[in-house]
Amino acid sequence: MELSESVQRGLQSLADPSSFDQSSFQVFVDVSFRSLLSSKGDPAVLDQPELRQIDQILLKQCHTAATTFILEAVKQNADKSTISSCLEELTFSAERIEIFYSTHQKHKKELECLLASIGRRPAQINDVSWRLQYHMKNAQVDKVNEPFYSISLKSENEGSSEDINFTCTMEQLQDLVGKLKDAAKSVEKASQM
Amino acid sequence: MSARFRVGMSLAQACQDIGYKGEIGYQTFLYSNEPEIRSLLMFLVEKLPRERAEVSDQPTGKSVVLQRAIAAVIKAQLAVPWLPSNCRLPLFDETQCPGALHSFHVQSLSLPHCSKGPGKKQLKEVMDYQRYILPPVTAQFSRHTSVLASILEQHIAELSAAQEWDNEWNSQGLLSRLTPQDYHCRKLTRMHKRIKEQLHSATLTSPESPLSRLCSTSDLSELLQAFRCSDHVLTKGTHFTHTQKFTFTQEVAAMTSSIPTGHQSENDIQLCQQEELTLLQQQFHQLCSDVNQLAVDIKHMSVPYTQVLDELKQNELGNSEKEEKIQVKKKTIDLLPDADSNLLKLQVLVEASAKRVVNLASQWEKHRAPLIDERRRLKEICSNQDLESSRKLSEIKTLHDRIRVSTEEAKKKEEIYKQLVTDLENLPQDLSRSAYTQRILEIVSNIKKQKEEIKKILSDTKELQKEINNLTGKLDRTFAVTDELVFKDAKKDESVRKSYKYLAALHENCNQLIQTIEDTGTILREIRDLEEQIETENGNKTVANLERILDDYKAIRQENSALAAKVRDG
Repeated sequence: MELSESVQRGLQSLADPSSFDQSSFQVFVDVSFRSLLSSKGDPAVLDQPELRQIDQILLKQCHTAATTFILEAVKQNADKSTISSCLEELTFSAERIEIFYSTHQKHKKELECLLASIGRRPAQINDVSWRLQYHMKNAQVDKVNEPFYSISLKSENEGSSEDINFTCTMEQLQDLVGKLKDAAKSVEKASQM
Repeated sequence: MSARFRVGMSLAQACQDIGYKGEIGYQTFLYSNEPEIRSLLMFLVEKLPRERAEVSDQPTGKSVVLQRAIAAVIKAQLAVPWLPSNCRLPLFDETQCPGALHSFHVQSLSLPHCSKGPGKKQLKEVMDYQRYILPPVTAQFSRHTSVLASILEQHIAELSAAQEWDNEWNSQGLLSRLTPQDYHCRKLTRMHKRIKEQLHSATLTSPESPLSRLCSTSDLSELLQAFRCSDHVLTKGTHFTHTQKFTFTQEVAAMTSSIPTGHQSENDIQLCQQEELTLLQQQFHQLCSDVNQLAVDIKHMSVPYTQVLDELKQNELGNSEKEEKIQVKKKTIDLLPDADSNLLKLQVLVEASAKRVVNLASQWEKHRAPLIDERRRLKEICSNQDLESSRKLSEIKTLHDRIRVSTEEAKKKEEIYKQLVTDLENLPQDLSRSAYTQRILEIVSNIKKQKEEIKKILSDTKELQKEINNLTGKLDRTFAVTDELVFKDAKKDESVRKSYKYLAALHENCNQLIQTIEDTGTILREIRDLEEQIETENGNKTVANLERILDDYKAIRQENSALAAKVRDG
């Protein structure tokens, strides 16, 4: 995991036992994860009794570095060995690495959900209703005699449902079904690498 | 028939194209026999792409590991049954429960920067701001997801900037032999110069613009200042917004202060206040514009003011020069009345000073020579040092390169090691491995046995050969001895002569016998070879194949003639 210089510096001062003792380290790590997870930013998040005696500038620097490190670790899906080797390089003690990693494990799932929620996603099809209709004639042609389907796809996106309505001929429907089957097959293939 | 023939031919052609060397034709597919098809299939199977084997042989790359992880996740998600939306549990599965999505929106964060060393002291106010006012990064924006996006973006930006600087420093910065700070400064000034030139050229193209008169300004900051002046409208706009904000806050303050005073005639008070406020606002605007106007005036005035100052200085300088001249002239006028004696004195003085000049010149020469030598020496040393430093620089560069390469290698190797470890963990721990090794060992021992047997047979044949050689040698020698003895006696005795003849005949006959025996041996071997060949040919069923091919030929001809007849009829 590559880290920028400012993050490295912040983490190094976080590792320094002279500025953060054991209990304040624990509190600080908790606070960092919580500040990332709480839906609205609380300006008083660093206002803990254990963190009072620490210089506020240093505290904010460390907080920035810690949040960046956490996000990078979650983004890259870093395992235990990666995280611990990274923190060891920044002179963290084994005990502190253990504290950090256990907190990380506790909140990893939620953070992944949060990061996954950044972006876009097409609507999901949940259900379909269809009707077979028969086109007999129209103003121009006396005998058409073609069947056609009217289809309504029930889709869902971000909690709100929406219907997609269209009509198609037999061949088009077959084409659509074939495409869907292809898609399903390629997903299956991708799962059997 | 012809269709079958065509298909068979195309198959045979395809096989030959991929490099099959054996005999192949359409009959190989139509009238196949076991050994031919077997060899063909062996060849084709060997030609099959062996993806599996390669994958298991090579250490899997990073992308392969990632793809495997993706495949595992997809598999797990496929295994989850679909649930209607009212049966889903929150956070049960993010693929089925799409929460609200947010776009990737980045805002710049304001971070408390660490002061690098004691040299960069920050302002006390800035420190105070960072200490007491600045909220932590997670509380700087109202929207939560943009915080995450911004933090990630900030980090990536810092990383890439550091990388870029590293690249530039390694490629150009080291060659310039400056410290990083100096290099920075030089780059900055160069950039300033370039911008200034661009601006100048831009202003020169439009001579009637108010900026053209600023072309003579020497400094970029001045130029920028001038720009700021000419962008008066813009600054005014910001002033306006400032005032608006200010009045607005005032209004709020007034509102809050008015609340406790009471409810009576609130409307009146509000009206009054409104009026007052608008009045004040107008006044404020007036004042603001006045101030701006005055600032512009001051700026306008400052230019002639500096000019006047310059003129004043120049005039003062001229004045002092003129005063000196006047003093010299005054002295000469004072000396005029006693001209002769003064002239003599002056001549003496001139001579003395000429002597002194000569003296000084000789002294100077004396001093000059060693100094020049010294200078030369120092120059040499300097050039030597230059050479040395450039050599060291190149060394440093190569060292840098080597360090980079080796760190990269180490990283790569570490990654490979990790992957191999995971691969090893993932490997199925069944018995096939030991079975394979056992089989390999068996095969090896079999080969050893066969080798020993072959060695035995070889030594046997060698021994036989040796014996044969021995015997022939013995025979030759005994024949030579007897021949000599009998020949000696044959001169004396008639019967012995006869026996000599017999001996010669016997020898010749024996030789012939041996020859024939050898010939029969070779012929027997040839016969065996031919028999083997005949067997293989019989296995190939060439005769039957040829007959079949002839039949096919006839059939095709018949078909052709039938078709031709049809064509003719048609």
